[in-house]
Amino acid sequence: MKEKLINRFDWLTEADVVMSDGRLTIAVEPAKLREIARFIKECGYDFLVDIVGIDYGDDLGTIYYIAKGSDTADTIALQTKSDNRENPVLPTICDIWEVGQVYEREVHDFFGIVFTDNPDLRRLFLRERWKGFPLRKDYDADPAINPIPDRNELFIDMDALPEMESDEDGEGRTWKMMYDDNDYIINFGPQHPAMHGVLHLRVRLDGEIVRTVDPHFGYIHRGIEKMCESYTYPQILHLTDRLDYLSGAINRHAFCLCCEKAMQIEVPQRAVVVRTIFDELTRIASHLLGWGSMCMDMGAVTAFIYGMRDREKIMDIFEETAGGRLMVNYHTIGGVAKDIHPNFRRRVKEFIPYMRKMLKEHHMLFTGNPIATGRMDGVGRLSLEKAIALGITGPSGRASGWANDLRKAAPYAAYDRVDFEQVLRSGGETFDRYVIRLHEIEQSLRIIEQLIDNIPEGPYTAQVKGVIKLPEGDYFQRVENARGQFGVHITSRGDKNPYRVKFRSPSMVLVGALKEIAPGNKVADLIMLGGSLDYVIPCIDR
Amino acid sequence: MKFFRYIKNIFLGIWHLLQGMYITMLNFVRPKLTEQYPENRGKHVYFERFRALLTMPHDENNHHKCTACGICMNGCPNGTITVISKMENDPVTGKPKRVLDKYLYDLGGCTFCELCVRNCPFNAIVFTNQFEHSVFTKERLVKQLNRPGSSLAPKPVQKPEVKVSNGNVEGPALHKGQPVPPEKTQTI
Amino acid sequence: MWSFSELTEWIDATLRSLMGDGWALFVEFVLIGVAVLVAYAVLALILIWVERKVCGFFQCRLGPNRVGKWGIFQSVADMIKILLKELIRINRSDKVLFRMASFFVIIGSICTFAAIPFAKGLQAIDFNVGVFYVLAVSSLGVVGILLAGWSSNSKYSMIGAMRSGAQLISYEISSGLSLMAIVVLSGSMQLSEIVAQQADTWFIFKGHIPAFIAFVIYLIAGHAETNRGPFDMPEAESELTSGYHTEYSGIQFGFFYLAEYLNMFIIAAVATTMFLGGWQPLHIAGWDGFNAVMDYIPSFVWFFGKTFFCVFLALWVRWTFPRLRIDQLLNLEWKVLMPICLVNLILMAIVVIL
Repeated sequence: MKEKLINRFDWLTEADVVMSDGRLTIAVEPAKLREIARFIKECGYDFLVDIVGIDYGDDLGTIYYIAKGSDTADTIALQTKSDNRENPVLPTICDIWEVGQVYEREVHDFFGIVFTDNPDLRRLFLRERWKGFPLRKDYDADPAINPIPDRNELFIDMDALPEMESDEDGEGRTWKMMYDDNDYIINFGPQHPAMHGVLHLRVRLDGEIVRTVDPHFGYIHRGIEKMCESYTYPQILHLTDRLDYLSGAINRHAFCLCCEKAMQIEVPQRAVVVRTIFDELTRIASHLLGWGSMCMDMGAVTAFIYGMRDREKIMDIFEETAGGRLMVNYHTIGGVAKDIHPNFRRRVKEFIPYMRKMLKEHHMLFTGNPIATGRMDGVGRLSLEKAIALGITGPSGRASGWANDLRKAAPYAAYDRVDFEQVLRSGGETFDRYVIRLHEIEQSLRIIEQLIDNIPEGPYTAQVKGVIKLPEGDYFQRVENARGQFGVHITSRGDKNPYRVKFRSPSMVLVGALKEIAPGNKVADLIMLGGSLDYVIPCIDR
Repeated sequence: MKFFRYIKNIFLGIWHLLQGMYITMLNFVRPKLTEQYPENRGKHVYFERFRALLTMPHDENNHHKCTACGICMNGCPNGTITVISKMENDPVTGKPKRVLDKYLYDLGGCTFCELCVRNCPFNAIVFTNQFEHSVFTKERLVKQLNRPGSSLAPKPVQKPEVKVSNGNVEGPALHKGQPVPPEKTQTI
Repeated sequence: MWSFSELTEWIDATLRSLMGDGWALFVEFVLIGVAVLVAYAVLALILIWVERKVCGFFQCRLGPNRVGKWGIFQSVADMIKILLKELIRINRSDKVLFRMASFFVIIGSICTFAAIPFAKGLQAIDFNVGVFYVLAVSSLGVVGILLAGWSSNSKYSMIGAMRSGAQLISYEISSGLSLMAIVVLSGSMQLSEIVAQQADTWFIFKGHIPAFIAFVIYLIAGHAETNRGPFDMPEAESELTSGYHTEYSGIQFGFFYLAEYLNMFIIAAVATTMFLGGWQPLHIAGWDGFNAVMDYIPSFVWFFGKTFFCVFLALWVRWTFPRLRIDQLLNLEWKVLMPICLVNLILMAIVVIL
């Protein structure tokens, strides 16, 4: 790939294209960005993993992580910098990778970078009237600048698309309204019984039929990425559980792996295996809740309670060993926090046959139900190409036939030594997204079954220095969380605090998929589709 | 043929509906899982590692192990812990020495990440199972962990052989987070 | 078997001896009205408790268990709470219609309730077109639901009301047609007459297969008419928060709530009356001893036993199945239930002729 790039673009030098951390890192000027991005896309890199905005001090820059759709472990990083700090302008790449649109909105919101030709460059999380760009290093967090509004803000702010007058400055904007006066627009959320968390959807209806869906984020944004910049690495760990709270242990694993990779810590085998078991238990718990809440979205409340009942057993296992139920707080940099409890093995072994039996019941209760299948059949089809273009990873992507499981593609922890299947379905319809979760629970049980008797003896954590400092550089690590690929990007300058931390949330693109698959279906389907995608809002509103 | 498939589908659908009803009826007669909370108080067994409340164990002579070093305070991500120390003359050597005055713990800001307990070089604080936290005002969530009149354990505290790193413990003190018998439930 | 008509006739005779005929009638009307209202409220409270308890048991929970032993007084406590709650005024709503809507719903259901024969000799209204009356009055409720959705000035309520209008009017047809099958069988529309005819064999046995089909269809259609899951699209908690009564509070909401539960009871009671022999005990031809024993059980026990069996069926279905989508719902009615009903009616006619 490196030779290919250098042969193709004569202005690229050896110094611009660096192989580090198992991936090519290419530094380009903004003017050349689109040219090279197109070439990379043609080479098969059609999955834009994430866009990370960074404030380098003198200038603002972005890093694009791009992976191959056919092999999601094969990643390229594109780095670019905009030298104008006052009015930073970068070319958009959202016509090359569709999902770039929402990522660019996020970078625009936090860094004030204007992406020319992005059709919808509203702020993603903050209000349109918010002054300043929070993730810039010189941001003034004085509450007097952005007081809490004492009156309701008008939706007009949310419904207007900015249009660029000229490429040079962001001042000359005009606004275009998204809706007519006659449109029947209904707000689903932020407080709504069917929304998983506080998501706000502006839905344009035509009778019962959904015409457009426009998600708004930011109701519970906690500024975790900004907070991370003032925390030490062990302190950050307690926040990772609070992103996607249903796969907290897996998110934490990603951060630990990233730090361990940077510091080159050898994690003891015992910790590796225990971490893997914890991850899989978390996945089962999350899928059970996802299954239950999808059933509840379709009106079957009882199924939800059954899901919660089984999840409770996993929570008990967590509580006994780690001391926490939802916020497990177990993985640490270099290993795990405590040794496993003497009862851990017995409880897990009891849980596996119990869960198998319950899975059968869950299938009987809901999978064959003619009402349920009648509602799910043929609704919300997401094609493979669209899934890759929108970056829909995880079970939802695999339901469209996209083999994107990082546990197979780039095995981390103990996944390379266990035998399991990557569940794939080809339909991409709601029923596929529904049933794939139950099948994944079976596979997770298989993984746990193989590992639980083979936990090696030895220390449960490696020896780590008192103050953890990462060597200077950019680090990126992805893991397979219950909803898709969760990524952690750390830019370190050698301090005990990171310079910039960015989390790649799989949920954000899942909500983006709703925009794609919901129009044309009924209101009831909108809710069901939301349940089938199984997004978690705190992961979006980091 | 099509007609027969139609009929077959109807009966298959009814069969699946009946299966679903069978499952719910099965659960109708199964033992119920509800925890009757205030009634099972005292009978219910909690997991010993369950983190519910930070406490500072005192021995029978009202001695604790805290040297007011402040590692926990600096390690806490949320500023939950405030260690207020004072200078006192050591009765043995006569030299002024820093001792603990007040150990304040704001339960309202605690995220139970356990960094403080894992960082403490003297095992002076532990998490206990006591989870009944509700109080009427926010101020009452700020608790003073050292008892009035308590002091540092007099016998020289052994230099712990535990190698303490930031958040990671290596060595024999494996079960540090392990429980001290829970204190009697305080009335709020 | 003891008849309640002894009691009512004694009251009638006593009143007539004390006052003029006109006054006696007046007092009787008032007494009947009060009795119906009290029975209505008490039954609703019992049903709410039963529903919550049964739902809890289906979901591996205990259900209400704090107020009284087994939470028996839970719904009483709820009633007190709902009576004390503020009636929230909705900005820019149609005030008159908004107030009226809940009364439409509850009056429709009370009127139907009064026509049910609860026990031997215990029936307030006994028209010679009783079946017709029940069908007509019970569909008054849809007016109230439409008004509630329209007058609330809320988009959720509006969608809920529109769904409800489509649903109730459609399912009215098959519930009516399935009752017609029994009318064909019995040759009478008078409820007391229909019950009396079932003294030896209940209609569900007497009418062979057509009666059974009509029974099942009536349960499905009736279930849909009460807006309860899996047909609870007008409320659709997870989609429309709570549909047409989203904006209601306090006792106005309480009226909708009561009517919903009582409608469930009424559907079960009509099904009992028409198909399961009403208050008639189970008789098997030839087993005289058995029949005599069955006769000792009081008639209202028979009635409530059968009715609560139907109610339990409804709850079982409700807490098992997911909700239908609006187009599936209408397909089910117009493409499946109604054709089956019509064929069934012809079948029933053939059965009667033979």
